[in-house]
Amino acid sequence: MSVNPDAVDAAFFDELRKHYSDDEIVELGAFIGFNLGYHTFFGTLKFYPLFSPDGRLVSQAEAERLYGAAPTSLKPEVAE
Amino acid sequence: MTRIAPMPLDAITDPELRMLIAEGEALGVPDDLFPRIVARAPEQAVPLMRALVMSHAQGHVDHKLKEIMRILLARFANDNYFASLRSGKARAMGLTETRIDDGCFAYEDDGKGFSAAEKCALRYADLMFLDANQIDEAFYNEMKRHWSEAQIMELGAFVAFHYGMAMFMRSLGAKAAG
Repeated sequence: MSVNPDAVDAAFFDELRKHYSDDEIVELGAFIGFNLGYHTFFGTLKFYPLFSPDGRLVSQAEAERLYGAAPTSLKPEVAE
Repeated sequence: MTRIAPMPLDAITDPELRMLIAEGEALGVPDDLFPRIVARAPEQAVPLMRALVMSHAQGHVDHKLKEIMRILLARFANDNYFASLRSGKARAMGLTETRIDDGCFAYEDDGKGFSAAEKCALRYADLMFLDANQIDEAFYNEMKRHWSEAQIMELGAFVAFHYGMAMFMRSLGAKAAG
C-alpha cells in the first residue's frame, strides 16, 4: 500500500481472502492506512522513545543516540 | 463496486456511528460509503469516523484551506473516492473548484493569491508524502512564522490521517457516488 499501491489490486485481494475474512481485511487496511500516514508525519517531527531499552527515562538527545537519527525501516538499504 | 462490499446502512445500529455518518453526509465528506466499509471493523469505525469528520470540520485552521489540502492529498494518493467528495461547508464559505485546483497545482504562483501561511501549509501537505526529508527543522521554523505549534500539530495530524485513509480507499477501488 505504501511502496507500490498499484500492486494492491483485485488479484491481491483474492489472495488476502484466502487467509482473512472481509471484515479482517477492512481492519488491516484501515490500520495500515492510519500507520502509513502517521509514521511519515511522526518521522518529520524527529522524536524518539522516552525510555532506553533497559527501561531508563532518557533525554531526547540520548534517545536519538540510542535509537539512531532515522527509523531503520526508512533506510534505503533496508527498503530494498 | 468496491473490493470489499460496504455494509447495508440499515445493518448499522450503533447510534454513535449513525450520528457520525449523518455528520459526514451533512458535511459532504465522507458520504456513507467510507463508514459503511469501516463498519465491518466495528471497534475501529467510530474512532475512524470521528477523527475523519472532526479533524476536517473542527479545529483552529481555516476549513477551506484544509479542504484544499485534503483534495491535494487524495489526488496525490490517486484516490478517486476522497478526491471526488466536496465539503458543503467549504463551498458555503466560498471555496470554488478553481481555487481548489489552484491550491493543488499552482499555490506557489503569486498570482493565485495564496498567503504565505497558506502556501506553507499547502507545501507541508505536498511534501509530506512526496519527500518528507524536506520537512526538516528549517521547514518547521518557517511553519512557526505563520502558525502556532497547536495549529501545526492540527495540520500535521490532519495530513497524516486523511492521506492514510485516501490510500486505504484507493486500495479498495472505491469511487464516489454520482
